[in-house]
Amino acid sequence: MTESQVTSESSAVRVERLSFRYPGGPDVLTDISFTIAPGEIIGLVGPSGAGKSTLLQHLNGLLPSQLPNFVGNVSNVPGQRLTDQVSGGHVGNVPHVVIDNLPVARQSIAEVRRRVGFLFQDPDDQLFCPTVFEDVAFGPLNLGLSEDEARQRVRDSLASVGLAGYEPRSTLRLSLGERKRVCLAGVFACQPGVLALDEPFSSLDPRARRTLIGILKKFPGSQIIATHDLDVVVDLCHRVLLLDAGQLRAAGPTADILGNAALMERHGLEVPWRLR
Amino acid sequence: MSDYLDRFGRGQSMCHRWPPLAKLLSAIAMILAATCVPIAHPLIGIVACVIFFAHTLARIPLAYVARRLLFFWPPLFLMAISLPLSQSGQTGWLLFATILVRGTLSFSTALWLVNVMPFDQLLATLRRLRVPDVLLAILSLMYRFLFVLWDELDRMRTARAARLFRKPSLWATWRSAAHLLGRLLIRALDRADRIHGAMLARGWDGRSRWIEQPREDRP
Repeated sequence: MTESQVTSESSAVRVERLSFRYPGGPDVLTDISFTIAPGEIIGLVGPSGAGKSTLLQHLNGLLPSQLPNFVGNVSNVPGQRLTDQVSGGHVGNVPHVVIDNLPVARQSIAEVRRRVGFLFQDPDDQLFCPTVFEDVAFGPLNLGLSEDEARQRVRDSLASVGLAGYEPRSTLRLSLGERKRVCLAGVFACQPGVLALDEPFSSLDPRARRTLIGILKKFPGSQIIATHDLDVVVDLCHRVLLLDAGQLRAAGPTADILGNAALMERHGLEVPWRLR
Repeated sequence: MSDYLDRFGRGQSMCHRWPPLAKLLSAIAMILAATCVPIAHPLIGIVACVIFFAHTLARIPLAYVARRLLFFWPPLFLMAISLPLSQSGQTGWLLFATILVRGTLSFSTALWLVNVMPFDQLLATLRRLRVPDVLLAILSLMYRFLFVLWDELDRMRTARAARLFRKPSLWATWRSAAHLLGRLLIRALDRADRIHGAMLARGWDGRSRWIEQPREDRP
């Protein structure tokens, strides 16, 4: 069994009573709670501005001003409240997001980012090195891997997204679909147990979209996918979370949520063609 | 657009086959010669010939160099023109000519350098020469995102043109250009934030770590 399989089998996400607002702004997220089981694929749907991207960023601790100072492990048993497990801490120090028993906190942030791979909406934001090789090697080198290990990871992860041999290519001269796949290879190279994907299918042509779906289906860990492409959600996701105006409005099996015409209508969405 | 600066960087001429360090050192030597020889001295003519011969040797069309120079000259001219205006007599004009000649020759040399080696090779060579990491990171990110920002500006300009139904007055043109630039600055700042997030997400802690790509992998 490879290292990535071990990681993925013990990985899960737990979010409890998460609220967030940017300084001086209105609430972006209000009292969000959910869990993701190991290997489960979750679709995060909702109208634009619902808070989907902000929620995903919390999973990777990308909003540093909000990180609690919390040391130690917490239990990941559903039903056992995080607030009950933290004795003596004031409210600001209670972790709201837990990745595989590890609370997302200031002290754990490096390990959290190793466990959660984050795919950004615009691949140009994520591909910041001049060549594909350097970009995919960026994560493994930051993990402290040796040169040989990093090279091996670059080769393996490029092969897993169908781009073997792309190492010397310039990141400027790739199609959008290729850029998305290189971004994904950069994420895979860190061997995360959880993938957080922000609009991975936007602006892709059908072939690039199908290719990406195929790659994601093979990923062994948990995934949470924020997307407007509800047909992909039907195809790919076990469960759906419906977010609107920063609140979790519904959660359940994909067909139950997306097939509920009244619910979808209420939150500015449409029942996907495949469920009509 | 993405090959605007270094269209011939992956060419196959004699210059392209030189070792990377030799290319970099030649460029530095040419720039030093261009900036050290007084422009009244006949030697400057020889330096200029060497530089433009280097372009021919690398099969970089001189028309391409000339077009790039057209962009370079206006700001250089604006900078140099202050000297004859502030200094009396011949000294001012001599300084003016010196800035123009040295600027042109140095710029042409830099253009030659980025067109005889791919940019990542240039960065790798600078890294081997122990140029500070911060400087390299700035160069690398600048090269990467210059074109992204340029494309963004281009899209905004096209969008503006699509809704311009008659020729605008000069004042309106300048005004909307200022708005475009302002908007571009804000977008660039937002993008910088997102890039920083993307770097953090893959474990970046402020230190650059880097390995060289094996030579046999290069095209």
